Amino acid sequence: MLIEIQDIFKIYNEGKESEVRALDGVSLEIDRGEFVAIVGQSGSGKSTMMNVLGCLDVPTYGEYYLDGHDIGSLSDRELARIRNREIGFIFQGYNLIQELDALENVTLPLIYQGISVFDREDRAMEALSRVGMAERAHHRPSEMSGGQQQRVAIARAIATRPPIIMADEPTGALDSKTGRHVLEILRQLNGEGSTIILITHDDGIAAQARRRVRLSDGRIVSDEQLKEAAV
Amino acid sequence: MNLVQAFKMAFKSIYMKKTRSFLTMLGIIIGVASVVIMVSVVSGQNKKNLEWMEAMGNNVVEVYADSWTGQNMDTIINEFVGDLDKKLVVGITPNINLWGEMVVRYGSKSYSTTNWDNWEDMIQVVLGNDAYGACNDYNLAEGRELSYLDIEKESSVCVLGGGLKEKLFNYTSPVGETVTINGLPYLVVGWYESKNIENWPEVDNLLLLPYTVNRTLNKNQTISNWKVKCTSSSATSEVTARIQNFLNGAFPLDEEGNQQGGFGRATTNNTWQEQNQEQAKMQTMVMGGIAAISLIVGGIGIMNIMLVTVTERTREIGIRKAIGAERRSIIAQFLIEAAVICGIGGILGIIIGCMGSLIAGKFLLDGMRLWPDQGIVLGAFLFSVALGVIFGMYPAIKASGLQPVEALRAD
Repeated sequence: MLIEIQDIFKIYNEGKESEVRALDGVSLEIDRGEFVAIVGQSGSGKSTMMNVLGCLDVPTYGEYYLDGHDIGSLSDRELARIRNREIGFIFQGYNLIQELDALENVTLPLIYQGISVFDREDRAMEALSRVGMAERAHHRPSEMSGGQQQRVAIARAIATRPPIIMADEPTGALDSKTGRHVLEILRQLNGEGSTIILITHDDGIAAQARRRVRLSDGRIVSDEQLKEAAV
Repeated sequence: MNLVQAFKMAFKSIYMKKTRSFLTMLGIIIGVASVVIMVSVVSGQNKKNLEWMEAMGNNVVEVYADSWTGQNMDTIINEFVGDLDKKLVVGITPNINLWGEMVVRYGSKSYSTTNWDNWEDMIQVVLGNDAYGACNDYNLAEGRELSYLDIEKESSVCVLGGGLKEKLFNYTSPVGETVTINGLPYLVVGWYESKNIENWPEVDNLLLLPYTVNRTLNKNQTISNWKVKCTSSSATSEVTARIQNFLNGAFPLDEEGNQQGGFGRATTNNTWQEQNQEQAKMQTMVMGGIAAISLIVGGIGIMNIMLVTVTERTREIGIRKAIGAERRSIIAQFLIEAAVICGIGGILGIIIGCMGSLIAGKFLLDGMRLWPDQGIVLGAFLFSVALGVIFGMYPAIKASGLQPVEALRAD
């Protein structure tokens, strides 16, 4: 099992009147090569779910095994390493660094990984080519459209060739045509063996996945395999 | 992430925010420049004082003694000093400045002791003995000093200061020539090198006569001033004390503490010099302290800016952490950024400080070529970089400790 979470709770202001249970005892297993959509209304806890799965946040209670490692027992440094090598993030708001151009943004995770100068330039260009952004390598985010920025963000996510890609509402800020393009890239990556976890509120987008996990009020209410992905 | 990368990122981020980086630097620039200028002005002033004092004579005891009972103090003082250890005393000379108008003439040129309208051309005529040059730190350029025989025989000879020699003889040798003083002829036997002390031309516009010569010039004054040249500053204090002691014996104190039968004092400008140096040290410290405060204010400015920067860039920090930046990479990035800002500010401050010192030297210290001490420059630079590191530390640590998700939530 690639990802295994057991009885995960994420509780804010625990014990107070304003207590919020963003995740309320969630257990889930995801296997290598799956394409999972986690769907739910806003406030259902799906973003918290991604933050926990992506090691961006620590759960209040519960156990999390990633590729057999007990995430709860890892140091700050080891978590950084996992975020760097095991997981690629795609965010709704792209989260590119405005001061850096496309190539530099994509190179960043490779720098943190300690790849040598020549290799990382090549690998970053390769990732940009994958998403069709090679010609825009030296443009800053402010000089690109939303769809282009999201493609650069995807290139950054895949630059270190991580086994897992997590996408939080990746099409949320895009028009439907560009959105389809982005989803197409994700499907391709899945076809090449990457595990994709897609967070969305949109059932139409979730239909692109092969498995749909529905969250409501911090709990899993359904978990179903989708036979044939709609096109 | 390696150090080269961290430096690149720091430079990039400084470059991207030119205006803000410059404003941050300004505090450091002004701080470092003022430290450099203040310290070099004070030390330049100090050096100038020291040069002046050295030229005026170091390790000299000035003795004044006047007997109201007609004793010949000259013989008494000379005997007493002559009996002192030769390890302490270099020599003693009467030290008499002749007042009243005297005109020194050579050929068509003449200079007066009372030319108040043009003090650069005013001369002084002094009486001394064979030790006059040694006691007043004059070096002979040519010829000879007054001799013991000149004193004994009351010869009509003189020694010229470098300034007066140039005025009367230009570049030709005065030795063997005859000048007149108020019409009486004197043979020039030697001349002293110029001391060239700024604003003090009369030191070189000097004419020295044997003190025994021509009592009419002297208006028959008794001799009551001497200069005793000592071998070292400790010898100077000892000799001063011993002469004063001797004078106290010669003119015993009455019940009210006044000397009787005459008046005698031995003083040295060494104590005054020491006080002066002490004062200069204080001055340097006070001025340096004020300048250091402005540096610290600059440093606080940096901390302020770094805090704002970190808050502003919380999202960026979140992104960096999300894609795998370790805590120490984030700390390194911000620390280096602060250190680089301060380092550049420090270098600019040093450059401005050096130029400022030159300008200050030109206008405040009569064209003195003021160049800051290397130690001060290095110290100011290291201090400014250290400020960057110290004041950059807190926001950097604060920023790096955030959970990625918290940082990403920031706008």
